[in-house]
Amino acid sequence: MKPPVQRNLRIVVVNTVPDPAGGGQGIDAQAQRNAALRIGLLESGYDIVAALPADIFLPERIGQIQPDLIIIDSESDARDVLEHLVIATRDEPRPIVLFTDDPAPSSVDAALAAGVSAYIVDGLQAERVKPVLDVALARFRREQKLLDELSDTRRQLADRKLIERAKGVLMAKNRLSEEQAYQRLRSMAMNKKLKLVEIAQRVLDVEDLL
Amino acid sequence: MTPVFAAGSDRPEKTAIKVGFMPLTDCASLVMASVLGLDEKYGIKLVLSREHSWSGMRDRLLKGELDAAHVLYGLVYGVEMGIGCAATPMAVLMNLSRNGQAITLSRKLAEQGVRSLEALAALVRKGSRRYTFAHTFPTGNHAMFLSYWLAAGGIDPLRDVQLVTVPPSQMASNLAAGHMDGFCAGEPWSGAAVQGGSGFTVSTSQDVWPDHPGKALGTSAAFADANPHACRSLIAAVLEAGRWIDESDEHRFAAAEVLSSPAYVGASLRGIAARLQGEYDNGLGRHWSDPDPLQFHAGGEANFPFLSDGMWFLTQHRRWGLLREDPDYQAVASRVNRVGLYREAALLAGVPAPSNLLRSSVLMDGKAWNGRDPQSYAASFSIHKRTSAISN
Repeated sequence: MKPPVQRNLRIVVVNTVPDPAGGGQGIDAQAQRNAALRIGLLESGYDIVAALPADIFLPERIGQIQPDLIIIDSESDARDVLEHLVIATRDEPRPIVLFTDDPAPSSVDAALAAGVSAYIVDGLQAERVKPVLDVALARFRREQKLLDELSDTRRQLADRKLIERAKGVLMAKNRLSEEQAYQRLRSMAMNKKLKLVEIAQRVLDVEDLL
Repeated sequence: MTPVFAAGSDRPEKTAIKVGFMPLTDCASLVMASVLGLDEKYGIKLVLSREHSWSGMRDRLLKGELDAAHVLYGLVYGVEMGIGCAATPMAVLMNLSRNGQAITLSRKLAEQGVRSLEALAALVRKGSRRYTFAHTFPTGNHAMFLSYWLAAGGIDPLRDVQLVTVPPSQMASNLAAGHMDGFCAGEPWSGAAVQGGSGFTVSTSQDVWPDHPGKALGTSAAFADANPHACRSLIAAVLEAGRWIDESDEHRFAAAEVLSSPAYVGASLRGIAARLQGEYDNGLGRHWSDPDPLQFHAGGEANFPFLSDGMWFLTQHRRWGLLREDPDYQAVASRVNRVGLYREAALLAGVPAPSNLLRSSVLMDGKAWNGRDPQSYAASFSIHKRTSAISN
C-alpha cells in the first residue's frame, strides 16, 4: 500500500461577524484577532480553504468542505454549533474532535489561554497541527498585546485628564498655584493610601455634589 | 453583614468564588445572591462571569478558570460521561430552577394551520421538505426536551427532521429568516421570538414535564472535593436568593429589572418580566397565568439535587445513542449529585430538604419516571437511536 501523499492542511477559520449594532469590545476584539489570524496563516503558507461565518449553516458548509482543521475563537458563541458537529460526526470516517486530547498538553493550554480553540480531524497527527497553532497563538498574542497597550494608553490618558481637572478645582476653590494643588492631591493620596487618580475622582465627586 | 460562621473549621477554603453564567432569565438566583449581598452573609464573594457559549463555559470550568457555573443539567452529565469531550468527574451542588423553558414554532407554520404537535407530525409525515429544529447544546436540557416532545408526537428527531445547535440569542432571528422551523430554548429568548412576531409558543417545557429540573449549579468534582465549605456557602446563598425571588411578584419584577442590565441578560425588562412572573402569551391570542412557571425555590422543592433528575438525563443520552452502553445509572448520579453537601447548606439557610433521593413524575406522553430501573426506562421508548457497544 502506497504511503499517503503529503499535502497541505486544509484549514477553515470561523469568523466572528462584528455586530453591526456595536457588539462591544469583546466582539470587535474577536473580529480583529480573527483577521490577524487569517493573515498570519496565509503569510506562513497555510491553505485557508474557507473563512466561514459563524451562522446556522456552518456545520453544513464544513460537511461539504471536509477540512482537516477548524480554528475558532474560544469566546465565539458558535463554539456550541461546532460542538454539535463534534458529536454528530463521532461515528463517521472523518470525525472532528476538539484539540484537547493533544499528548503535548502545554501547547493546548497555551492555545486555550490565548483564546484559540481548534477542532481537528481525528487521527491527524499532533505534529502537523502544532505549527499551525503556533502561528495562531503568536498572532493572537500579538493582537492581544496591541489591544492591551491601546487600552493602557487610553486609560493613562483618561487618568491624566481627571488629575488635571481635580487640580483645576483645587486651584479655583482654594486659590492655589498649580504646583500647590498637585502637592495637595499627592499628600491626600499618601494619607489615604490611594492612587492619585482615585483622589482626583473623589475631589471631582465632591465638586459635583456641591 | 457579618458571616454566619465566624471562624474555625467551617470557614470557606476560598472567599472569591468565580461563577460563570449565561445570559438567560434562569440565572436570576445566582445574580440576586450577589446583588443582595447574600454571598457575603455566608463568608464568600461571588465573582460572576458572563459566558459566551456552553462549550466555552465547560472548558473554563474544567481548566479551573471558573469555580462553578449556572449550567445545563444535561451538560454536566455529558462531561461526566465524556460525550464530545474528555470524561471529567463533575458535581451538581443544587438545582437552580424548574420549568420556564419553551418550544417555539415559526409563524409560517401557524399560518399553514400547524399549531400543535399532532399537526406538525402530520406535516412532517407528508415529507414535502426537510424540517429543522434548534436546541442550545447537544447533551443539554433543551435538546432532550425537544427530542422527547417530537418523539412523543411520533416524530423521530434524528431521522424524520434535522436538529441543529444555535446560540439562544440567535434563535429568533434565525426563525424569522426561515433558516429553521422551530426551537427549544430558555427565556427571554423564547418570549422574544413571540414578541418579535417570528414565532408562537407551541409548548412550554413544563407541559413536556411539569416541574422538570433546570440549570444546575455545577462544579468540577475536584473543586467540590477540595472546597466543601465554600460550596456549602455558595449553595446556601443561592438558596436564600431563590427564596427571595419566589416570595412575590414584586421581587420577581425587581429581579427582572436587575437582569435587564447588559451586565447580565441584556434584554428588555418587558421581555424578561412577563414570563418570569408566569404570564404567558403564545402569540396566537392565548394569554394565561401558568400554574407551573419558572420557579427558583418553591419551598426548597425546586432545588434538591434528586438522583432521579440526573439519571433522567443519562437515560435520554442513552436513548439517543450519545451513550453507547448503559452506565451504572445510580452510581453515576450518586457521585455527581452532592446530596450531603446540599443538606448541610439547606440547614444553614433554613430550607427544608426531602429525605427521598428519588422523585416521581408523569411526562406529557403519560410515561412515569420515578428513578427506579433506569436501564429499562431508557430501553422503553419506541423512538430511539440506541446503539449496542458491539456494533461498529
